[in-house]
Amino acid sequence: MVKKNNTPPKLAERLLLWFLKEQLAEEVLGDLNEKFYSEAANGSLRRAKLNYWHQVIHYLRPFAIKSISSKTQNTMLIHHLKIGLRSIRSSKSYSIINISGLALGLASFLFIMLWVNDELQMDNFHSKSQQLYNVYQTIEEQSGNLNGSPNTPLSNAGALLLDSAESEIPEVKMVNHYATGYEFPWGFPKTFRRGKKLFKLSGSRASPNFFKMFDYTVIAGSKQAAIKDISSIAISRKMALLFFDSPEEAIGKSLNYENNLDFQVQAVFEDAPQHSSLEFDYLINIENQILHKVEWASHKIITTYLLEEGAKPNQVSQKLNAYLANRQDESSGKNIRIGLQPFKDQYLVSGFDNGKPANGKMAYVKLFIAVAIFILIVACINFMNLSTARSVKKGKEVAVRKVVGSSKGLLVQQFLSEFLLMTLMAFFLAILIVFSLLPAFNQFTGKQIELPITELWFWGSLLILAFITSFAAGAYPSLFLSALIPAKTLKGAVRFSNRSRFFQKGLVVFQFCLSILLLIATVVFTWQTNYISNSHLGYNKENLIYLRIEGNLNSKYNLLRKRLTNMPGIAMVDRSSEAPHAMNFEVSDPINWEGKEDGQIVNFKPVSVGFDFTKIMGLQVVEGRTFNRNIASDSNAFMVNEMALNEMGIKDPIGKWISAWEKKGRIIGVIKDFHTHSFRQKIKPLVIDVKEDLYFGEIIVRTEVGKTKEALASMEQIFEEINPDYPFNYQFLDTEYMKLYKSEETVSKLCNLFAGLAIIISCLGLLGLSMFSAQQRTKEMGIRKVLGANMTHIITKFSQEFIVLVALAFLITTPLAWLLMNHWLQGFAYRIDLSWWIFALAGLVIVSITLLTVSFQSYKVAMVNPARTLRSE
Amino acid sequence: MKETRLGEFEEVILLLVGILEEDAYAFKISDEFEAQTGRSVSIGAVHSTLNRLSEKGFLNSEMGASSPERGGRRKRIYTITALGHRVLTEAKDFRVSLWNQFPGLANG
Repeated sequence: MVKKNNTPPKLAERLLLWFLKEQLAEEVLGDLNEKFYSEAANGSLRRAKLNYWHQVIHYLRPFAIKSISSKTQNTMLIHHLKIGLRSIRSSKSYSIINISGLALGLASFLFIMLWVNDELQMDNFHSKSQQLYNVYQTIEEQSGNLNGSPNTPLSNAGALLLDSAESEIPEVKMVNHYATGYEFPWGFPKTFRRGKKLFKLSGSRASPNFFKMFDYTVIAGSKQAAIKDISSIAISRKMALLFFDSPEEAIGKSLNYENNLDFQVQAVFEDAPQHSSLEFDYLINIENQILHKVEWASHKIITTYLLEEGAKPNQVSQKLNAYLANRQDESSGKNIRIGLQPFKDQYLVSGFDNGKPANGKMAYVKLFIAVAIFILIVACINFMNLSTARSVKKGKEVAVRKVVGSSKGLLVQQFLSEFLLMTLMAFFLAILIVFSLLPAFNQFTGKQIELPITELWFWGSLLILAFITSFAAGAYPSLFLSALIPAKTLKGAVRFSNRSRFFQKGLVVFQFCLSILLLIATVVFTWQTNYISNSHLGYNKENLIYLRIEGNLNSKYNLLRKRLTNMPGIAMVDRSSEAPHAMNFEVSDPINWEGKEDGQIVNFKPVSVGFDFTKIMGLQVVEGRTFNRNIASDSNAFMVNEMALNEMGIKDPIGKWISAWEKKGRIIGVIKDFHTHSFRQKIKPLVIDVKEDLYFGEIIVRTEVGKTKEALASMEQIFEEINPDYPFNYQFLDTEYMKLYKSEETVSKLCNLFAGLAIIISCLGLLGLSMFSAQQRTKEMGIRKVLGANMTHIITKFSQEFIVLVALAFLITTPLAWLLMNHWLQGFAYRIDLSWWIFALAGLVIVSITLLTVSFQSYKVAMVNPARTLRSE
Repeated sequence: MKETRLGEFEEVILLLVGILEEDAYAFKISDEFEAQTGRSVSIGAVHSTLNRLSEKGFLNSEMGASSPERGGRRKRIYTITALGHRVLTEAKDFRVSLWNQFPGLANG
């Protein structure tokens, strides 16, 4: 063998030298060399090398390892910690500001991340999650507009395809259709009866495959038979316990549905977990809905495919589209394509942009991740600034250490360990805060988040976070401090170079940019939310109660109306086919009118009401008159809103004919536009007629102001009399209306909270910086005073520096904030204007907070007797 | 007080130090151990035991000569101390007395 590589492995040798005590190095290396050469002589070189490694590893014994048992190292570490603790204790106010600032930042970060994590968990618990895809439509209209819809109606051209996908496309293993029974516009909790027990429950319709595709645990009965035919029902544990003593007992029993159908309980499933976006108390076969045995809640049917393992969704949707292409209804003027969206995204990515899934809650999740990182950065910068500012006090210590012979590395070590100690304290505090405030946070956000304290990843990521923050926050100050030159420092106060001052100021500006951004966002969010809840909807939403029309309520409507109106607390009673704040039904084809042009498409919201609708709602009639019970022909009359008039393009509407489906009549009046649904959308054309014999809809009751209690008591009495088979169940319109904006409200509340925190943290930083500056400029101010400057002058001079920084931050941030906020507001059809005063307000708030923070220090500076500051030199 | 009992492995190593005399250093001892017992042992394990025996006062050591295959590094030569001798003798005596009480062997 060539004697080329026959020396012991270098890496192993280096490893050995790294951990081995120095005094052992010679003998051990010698022994191992001898061993190596004797092995190499006896066998292969490779084995000798392996053996060398083996021997090295076996020297990992307590007697031979240096670092841990090395006494000086230990002493240094203990020394570092001791000094660290002492210095933390010696300046309490500074330490408290610094630690609590970081703790606040960390706690906010943790809270937001817990929230984000919880949002991302939605629909992620299904074991086949990777193979589940929702079908969505991309509809290309004649105009070229692309609309997206998660809706997969079974009645259009795609129906055949969606149903038979299993047999036509080999990659599709299973198909499920899902529709709720409680969504708007027509859905509502359904009444179930067994014996004397009556309960209202919200459930859904699904295909028999449902329990095979999704992981909802069946705890009694069979998964296969759960909803195998139209008379089967699967109920939740909660529902089972309402009617029966135990889940097992429910199996095979029958439940009456809406006083109409009987269902056999085939399975009981565990209540849908909190991370399920599908919510249902019971499930029945979707055939019931298709055969019109039960009523539709909305047109929305979600179709989910279980794809073969490893199947590519792109290829599958291509096949689906190829199959669909030959079967489309050409006359509709629409071109429909099919796409697949991962099922687990349906909650977060619920919107559509240009026909593709986009937006939705994901936007908020991203927003909050950004906010969390912002706050953490702000907190770290804070820590850096405060620690650097403290160096004025530490300068002498550093200098003396250096003179005595401490190396730069050792100093860095010492400061890093002090900062590590502080970050660990902050961490401890942050976890304590999170732990104690979590219940409040849950209430705040309407979630049920638990700290994953049993999960390893949680602690792991906490540890990583701790190290990153302590390094990010501590690295600069340690390097800065250890670089001080002793001769200069010992001679006078610590002087900072222009570069390091510039860096610190830059950090403050950056910190304030983030805070101002958050502040402006908060002001805009709050304003918009207030605008929604307080702006006039076109009707008076206070003191309105509505109830579902069911049982005898329709057939005995006139009796009900007369009885109720005479009861105490009740001002007026009327009815409507849809709740006034959520009229979601929209059609275009069935509505015709005098002078309609060919191909003119207007989407109307048709609604049928009682005679007194305009009065009970407080709607304004701008032209013509409202419905009148005493005019016989009014049961065939129509009213429209201004928007309808506008879009239909007719003038002098009164007396013109209009028709909805088979019903044809004259327009008798025009109503001023009012909001019939979410503020996000524009007011739509409305066409109203009178139908007091519809079997569905809502009874609307206006109570007398301040007499809600009496009104409810009266209502309960009358309803029990007239409609004994159904539980008395009512809703307040204003509360329900606010529920439409739940996500905006949560976001706005969270933003308020975190913007407040960010500003507090930034101010702590500013406080530190002003303390630092005050120490730096004592002499300057002393000289100024001696030369005759008065107090106001000194305070202005001192505060100027900080106002400039904050103003700079404000100038940088405002355009960016304007762009971002404008983008967000585009999502609302009715929105506040981004007027200058929003920014002015934010600026004013920031400047006054700055002045307030700095004024404490500046006052102190101005008060000092110059004789004292100038005495020593 | 220092631990003065002798474990089995310690006893063997102590004896090997006696056997090897001038050559009693960690590598040679582990080599000899493998040759005599047929069991493999790492130099580190032997070194650790030698270290422990020295702490107990059974061994003395000093740096010896170097050789080219050691890369010119010196070796640490171990020698048994008087205390080490006594402990070894005691251990041997104890065994002999036990053997003598063993009836299966007493009568040959």
